[in-house]
Parts: sequence; C-alpha cells; structure tokens
Amino acid sequence: MPQPLSSKESSLFRQVIRNYEGKQYKKGIKVADQILRKNPNHGDTLAMKALIINSQGRPEEAFALAKVALRNDMKSHVCWHVYGLLYRAEKNFEEAIKAYKFALKLEPESQQIQRDLALLQVQMRDYQGYIESRRAMLQARPQIRQNWTALAIAHHLAGNLASAEDVLTKYEETLKNLPQKPDIEHSEALLYKNTIIAEAGETERALEHLQAACKGCLDRLTVMEMKADYFLRLGRDQEAERAYRALIDRNPEYRMYYEGLEKSLGPKDDRASLKYVYDEIAEKNPRGDAARRIPLGFLQGDNFLEAADMYLRRMLNKGVPSTFANVKSLYADTFKRDTIQDLAEGYLTIEAHNPAPQTNGTDEKPANGDTSKFRSSVLYFLAQHYNYHLSRRLDKALEYIDKAIEISSTSVDYHMTRARIWKHYGNLQKASEVMEYARTLDEKDRYINTKAAKYQLRNDENDAALKTMSKFTRNETAGGPLGDLHEMQCMWYITEDGESYLRQLKLGLSLKRFTAIFDIFDVWQEDQFDFHSFSLRKGQIRAYIDMVRWEDRLREHPFYSRAAISAVRAFVLLHDKPHLAHDSLTNGTHGGDKDFGKLDSNERKKALKKAKKEQQRQEKADAVKREEKKISTGGTTADGEPKKADTDPLGLKLAQTAEPLKDTMKFLNPLLEFNSINIEAQNVGFEVFIRKIKEAGPLPPKISEVIIADLTPLLPSEDTSLSKHNDAFLSKHSQSPSHIYSALRTRHLLSPDSSRSQDEKILLDTLDLPNISMQEAREGLDLLKDWNSGSLAEYRAKAAKKYPRATAFVDGKATNGENKA
Amino acid sequence: MDIRPLHPADIPYVQTANITNLPENYFCKYYLYHALSWPQLSYVAVDVSAGGKERIVGYVLAKMEEEPVDGVPHGHITSLSVMRTHRRLGLAEGLMRQSQRAMVETFSASYVSLHVRVSNIAALKLYRDTLQFRVEKVEPKYYADGEDAFSMRQDLGFLKEDGEGEGEGEVGVGADEDHGDEGEEVGEAGKKEKGKGKRKVRVGRGLGVGDLVERNESTKAG
Repeated sequence: MPQPLSSKESSLFRQVIRNYEGKQYKKGIKVADQILRKNPNHGDTLAMKALIINSQGRPEEAFALAKVALRNDMKSHVCWHVYGLLYRAEKNFEEAIKAYKFALKLEPESQQIQRDLALLQVQMRDYQGYIESRRAMLQARPQIRQNWTALAIAHHLAGNLASAEDVLTKYEETLKNLPQKPDIEHSEALLYKNTIIAEAGETERALEHLQAACKGCLDRLTVMEMKADYFLRLGRDQEAERAYRALIDRNPEYRMYYEGLEKSLGPKDDRASLKYVYDEIAEKNPRGDAARRIPLGFLQGDNFLEAADMYLRRMLNKGVPSTFANVKSLYADTFKRDTIQDLAEGYLTIEAHNPAPQTNGTDEKPANGDTSKFRSSVLYFLAQHYNYHLSRRLDKALEYIDKAIEISSTSVDYHMTRARIWKHYGNLQKASEVMEYARTLDEKDRYINTKAAKYQLRNDENDAALKTMSKFTRNETAGGPLGDLHEMQCMWYITEDGESYLRQLKLGLSLKRFTAIFDIFDVWQEDQFDFHSFSLRKGQIRAYIDMVRWEDRLREHPFYSRAAISAVRAFVLLHDKPHLAHDSLTNGTHGGDKDFGKLDSNERKKALKKAKKEQQRQEKADAVKREEKKISTGGTTADGEPKKADTDPLGLKLAQTAEPLKDTMKFLNPLLEFNSINIEAQNVGFEVFIRKIKEAGPLPPKISEVIIADLTPLLPSEDTSLSKHNDAFLSKHSQSPSHIYSALRTRHLLSPDSSRSQDEKILLDTLDLPNISMQEAREGLDLLKDWNSGSLAEYRAKAAKKYPRATAFVDGKATNGENKA
Repeated sequence: MDIRPLHPADIPYVQTANITNLPENYFCKYYLYHALSWPQLSYVAVDVSAGGKERIVGYVLAKMEEEPVDGVPHGHITSLSVMRTHRRLGLAEGLMRQSQRAMVETFSASYVSLHVRVSNIAALKLYRDTLQFRVEKVEPKYYADGEDAFSMRQDLGFLKEDGEGEGEGEVGVGADEDHGDEGEEVGEAGKKEKGKGKRKVRVGRGLGVGDLVERNESTKAG
C-alpha cells in the first residue's frame, strides 16, 4: 500500500536521501528514526534506513530490515529498488536485476532505476535486456548523444553490427553542421563507427568512410593504422606500402608495421633485396633495433653470419644487457645458434689484439677505448648463452660469469645471472644466496629486490622472502607487508608463495594464497562495472569495447591458470591424504613427528584426532588474539571504514574441508572453460573427475555412451588386459621419462601388491636417458618415496653423481620439486 | 622490442612490471582508468623475441590533467619504468616520445609534467638530459615515505604541427638527435598518497571511478 507522509515528514524523508548520498550515515539514521517514530511501518523510510545500514558495513541487518520494508509496502518502487541495491552490493546480480525490474514496473518513468538496471544487464552480458533498456532510455532523452552511443554499443556487443551502425548514423543526421576539427567525443564516435563497418567485413566501405569522414580525427595513429590495414586487405599494395612506411617513420619499433610492409611488397624470393629494405630503414634510424634485428630471422648461411656479426658487435659495444634476450629466439635453428656461439667466442680472442671493433659506420663510438667494457659484455653474453636450455653447459656459464665479475665485481646483472646458473644446477639454496648478494649491491632498486624475494620463495624461505619484499611495501597498512601485497594485487608473489607452501605440503596456506588470486580475478571482473557509464561520458568507446571483450576472457590469463592448476592439485592431495589438512601431521614439518605414512590405521586415527584437537585449541587462541588486536586498533582501516578481520589467516578452514573435490570445482570450472588447450589444465581436470566417478558410482548411461564412442580408439581392444596395454605403452615410450613415470604409476594402481624391484630398476635406468631433465629426475625420486622403496639411497647416489651441484638428491633435504599426488 | 599502445588486456603484465620495478603501485582499476580515459597516451614495450609469447618489459602510463590549475591542457606521466634486463635499449625514451606526440595530436597538450624522487638520479638524468624536461619546483614530502619530489615539465610546442593530413610533414621523433641512453634505472613519476593527509584507496570495491581521479595540485596538499 502507498503510505503518504505529512509534508513535514516528506521533507525529512528527502533529507534522509540527501544524507545517504552525502555519506552522512549517522545523521541519516537519526532522521529516519524520527520519521519512524510516528510511522513505524513506513516502507520507504525503512528501506532507506536499510540502505544506510548496509553502507555502514552491516549487510545482514540491512537485508532483514529491507524485507520488513517490503512486507509493509509491496507496491513501493523505493522498497524494490533498495532491495535490488542490496543484492547488487553483495554481487548477487541475478536477484538484483529481478528486484530492479519489479521497481521499474511500479515506476516506469524512473530514469534512476532504468539506469541501474541497464548497468547490471551489460555487466551480466544480458545484451537483449540491455538493448531494451537502452532503447527506453533513448526514447526518454533523445537529445543526449550518450544515449544514442549506448544503444549502438548494446547492438554492437549483441552482434547486430548493422543496427549499431544505423543508430550512429541516425544521430549524425541530427547534427546540423559538423565542426571542422571534431572534438574528442565526435572524433571517437566516427572511428567507432568505422571499426563497426570494418568488423562487418566491408573493408571497401570502411576505407571510403575513413577517408571521407575521419580525416580530421584526433587519434592520428589509429587513422594511419586502419588505413594501412584496409589498403593491404584490399590488395592496394602501393598505397599500403606508403602507409606502412609512414607508420614506421613514426614508430620504427613495432613489428606489425614491418609485417604489413613486407606483405605490401609482395612475396620476395630474393632475401637480399628484402634485407636492403631493412637496411634503408636502419640507416634512417641509427638508434633503432627492429630494422636490424628482424633480418636475422630470415637471413641464412653467410648472409646470416655477416648480419649477426654486425648486430652482436653493435649491441655488445653499447653494453646492452638484453642482447642475449634479443637473439635467443633464433636458437631454434641450430645453425644460427652455433654461429652466434662461434662469433661470441671469437670476440674474446680478437679483442685481445684489437681494441673494441668498429661497428660499421653507425653512431656508436667505440667505448672510449675501454676494451674491458666490450670484454665483459661478451663474457656476460656467453654466460647467458651457456645458461640457456638450448645451449646449456653450466660449467662454462659459471666460468664466464666469474670472469665477468672479475672485471666488474659490483655488477648487479652479472651476479643475477650467476644466481640463475645456480638455479639451473638445482641448488636453490646457493641460488637464493647469490641473488641476495646481488640485491645488496643496489638496495634502492626494486627489480633486484623482487628477484631476491622470488629466489627465496623458490627455496621455500617464505618468511625471509616477505622480509625482503617489505623493504618496498607500505607496511603500515592493515595486514602489514603481506596485506599491502594483496591490496596492490601482486600476483606473482602470492602465486609463488602458494606454490612454495604446496611443495612444503602446508596446504592451508597454499590454498589461502590461491584463493586470494581467485578473489583478485573477481575484483578485476567487478572493476569494469563503473566504466559502463564512465566510458559513455568520456566518449572513448573503442577502448571500452576492448575492455569488455578482454573481461569476457579474463580468466584465460596465465595468472589464473597457474594458480588454479596448483589449487586443484592441493585439493586432490587433500582428497587422497586427508591428514595433510593438519600441519602437525605433515611429514617433516614438525621435526620429531613420526612419518604419518608409516603408521598403522589405529595409530593414524589417534594421531588425526589429536591433531584436530590441537588445531581447535590453536584456533581459539588465535580468535582471542584477533579480538584483542581489534580492540587495540579500533577495528577500522586507515580510512575509517570498518575492517573485515580475516578469520582464517592460515587457510585452515580451506584445508579442512569435508569435500575437497567439491571445493575444487570453483577453480576447475573456469580453468577448463577458458584454458581448454592447456594440457596441464586437462591433466588436473582428469585427476578430479576420475575420483568423482569413482565416488559417484556407475556413470549415467548417456555419458557412458559418449565416452565409449569417443574414447574407443584410445582404449585397448576388449581382449587385451589393462596391464598388457600398460606394458605396451611402457615399451613404446621407453625413452621418455614422463611416460615411464605414468606407466609405472598405472602399474601400481592395477596391481598394488606386485613386486616392485623391476620397476625400481626401470626408474634407476631413466637416469641414463639422454633427454632426462633434472625436474624429471626429481619426479622419479618422488615416486620411489611414495613406494617407500628400498632403492631410494641407490637412486639418490646415482642422481647426485649426474647432478653434482644439485641439492634435491641429497638425503635429509626436502625435495624442491613439486610434490605429485 | 615492440613499442605499441597499451590495451586493457595488457594491464595484468603492466601491473606486474610496475610492482617489480617501482615502489609506487596501483591496483587494476587505476590502470583501467588511464586506459579508458586516454587510450591514446599509454604505451608498452614488449619483448616479442620469446618464441611467440609476448612479455611486457616496460610501459608508460600517462594521462591528461583533469582540472589543470593553470587552465592549460597538459599531459602528466603517472608512471614509467623499464625492466632492469631491458635497459640501455632506449625503450623509456621511445615510450615517452610516442606518448608525448599523442598528447599533442589528440588532446592539444601544451606541456607534459611529471614527478620524480629527488634521489632518483638515473631517472632525473633521463628526463632532464635525454628528454629535455626541466625542474619546475621541489614538492616537499610528495611520496608516502616522506621523500621530496622534483616537479618537472617539458614544453611540447616542438611537436605542434601546422599542416593537416597524416604521415607527411610531421615532426620526427628525435630520430637523429644524439641522445644518451637512459642509463641504469628509469624511475617512476607519479602520484601517490602523500604525507599525513593521504587518501587510502581500497581494492576496487565500493569506489567509483570518480574517486580514482587525482585532484589537481592545489587540492592535493590536504
């Protein structure tokens, strides 16, 4: 029922709204209570009060009150609108949309409700709904350009390119006289329309439109890029060539322009004349890199030798530290790799007789006759070369970097490479120490600080790493350095920290970090919300469309897949070995504890019970501590907002889940949806589903049919036993360590009690395979550990001989390889 | 190394480059605010040599001053950095040149301003010697840790073009000037909450884009 207020109270109600909008929450509540004293059941006032309470950080209370408000006045659009806003605040967008729609039905003229609904629709990608809302908003206010643009965007995103263009054209027709030089909004609207035409595949018309309408557009670069692209697509090669040359003049460091230029020049069988094209450009850009580097990709034989020689001398003379990074992609071609190695080795001997070589008439002067600069550049280059996996000889790498350090003992770069060499030796302890030393050489540089922290994490020194990071974080924020790293969305650190805890089987902390990554992706998705309206005001529509499309595939990002894969691994581990949820039962973490894996079932139960008790006691103590801390800090963040205390900083609740396979789906579903071609994603997905199938019992007949139909070619024929099939697999892939591990693991699943001495022998032999990597050798070690194998010592000794500087195979040290479930 | 305009999809790696190199950091939404307000002004340097995979090794995050105190439209460099492994390639200079040019062409900027830590000698050298910025004044306690900033600016009149049309008759971007390399370290330039009255910005939540907008210098001191 509508509930009219007296005029005095109506004005009080308006004041509540003003208070809410001005964030004067306490005042607003006071005034609302004043109204409610006389009209205790006034729906709109109750609703507004609920909205304010929500802003004060008490959502449960707010929801309860909003429901009371609705019960009192089902016909109030204010009550429904507020209800929607509360849902919106807790990100339940579906329910929010429903509530807004109710409100709009009651008050079809409300621009505010219509707008809130539209924003949610586009956020939720309900494009049909968005088109409707935008059409209604345009009809209400056709004089505003933004409303036209917004409807065009709605059509465009929904895939109706023709309608989108049509809306933009209709608006243009209402403009009487176009300005000579358009303002930014108009300029961008024209370019936006042009991209729509081009997206529709009408390149010819897009070019015409670009040349006729977009001449004065303010984004010059885009006009030039589009024009070049259209010419090329239309086969108008001469004009395309001119357009790409103009782009290269403007920015000579963008490969896309060179690719366009090459295409416009037509197929060139003759590499020398193509080289000439690049030489000309290089000459015009004495300081440029691209025109010199690109030809190294297509030149062969002596031509390559000559060009590579010139390129390397020029870069090494300048002492460019990224010279190696610049050429290493050529190493896939072994001739080029060896040529570069010979050249660089040669520089060491030449240089002994002649001072720094000349560099073919470019502006690079020999470095003041400082031959040691050239020499150390070459040594540094060679150290990186021998440290690279396609040309790895670690002893040589170490020898060269030590020589370079002799010349320049305080070079951060050299010590950094030295640390990387130790990493590749498999000695993470030493690598971390060397990187830490490099850090001390330039304590004001965050880059080397970052590297030092990363190497500490790789060596599972989590506390030391955080201390290193804290030299550059803002430590007074809530949660200290770690809190700041989360607030600043420092993805690499959070992920590496989580991976380190996973290696140490501290699964609670590990899941805590991966969940933080998951949550940051949610925040990133939510971040786009404000731009649905903001971008209309700014008029930068093409950038906005870019953003929407990026957000649609946000979780394709490697930051997501990496954390998600590790999280799924942690959950699978928890499913297989529930005792891992308790730190105190994890092997080796609490020095004196017995190895849990070796206990009998009764002892296990006892230990598990004890661990649970201990954990409960710890939790209580922590809760008390938190409570005390809350009182001392007043329980607010620096800006006075109520702070939500983290009730599970160690991730214990995450790890102690009763249903790890269920919890893992939140990570796994987006992983498989957005990273379906990532083989590791499919692997961990398989590990989850094979366990689910086991638990769920027989498959539904339909699914079973599909599996049989699709997988039959992969499965053994019916008369072959599984173990025979597995043996065949093993002998077929007898040269590949990872295949061997899989086959052996499968063998033990099929016949858990069979003798293992033969398999142990196979594992020992893998160490003699020419292509085995150290990472793989560690996996073999982990397998033997899983079996509690008697050959462990023998394997360690053999591996240690093969990798004398690695620490992973030394007994007593936890493996730094990943723990496979 | 490619130098190309920054797209929204680059932001996670740009953010990583920033927090790897510099002490002044921002969350994703602040990058989005730049990328969606002045998409023409921010650039990234990309290592494309790593077997088809792109790796962002440098960036310039730039904007137009929203409410210029002097009423003159001008650009502002929020942050600029290049990974240590990719220095001495002229990337910082290349990024800046592209950004400056777009400031003039697209937004008619008269000059560009930035802040740099007084202790960051290498960045100071880049801005002053290579890019011809000059020190406008010292802003005491500009940074969160209490350090002073040089407020620097460069006049962009030299980029103003007279003719219409693209490609022809445009001012070259310092191609044949004999600039030094940017040296060891390229620091940041940019905002950050300062001193006592600093504005704490929460992670993306509850905050409208408007709250991200940096107020002009006169209100900054608060």
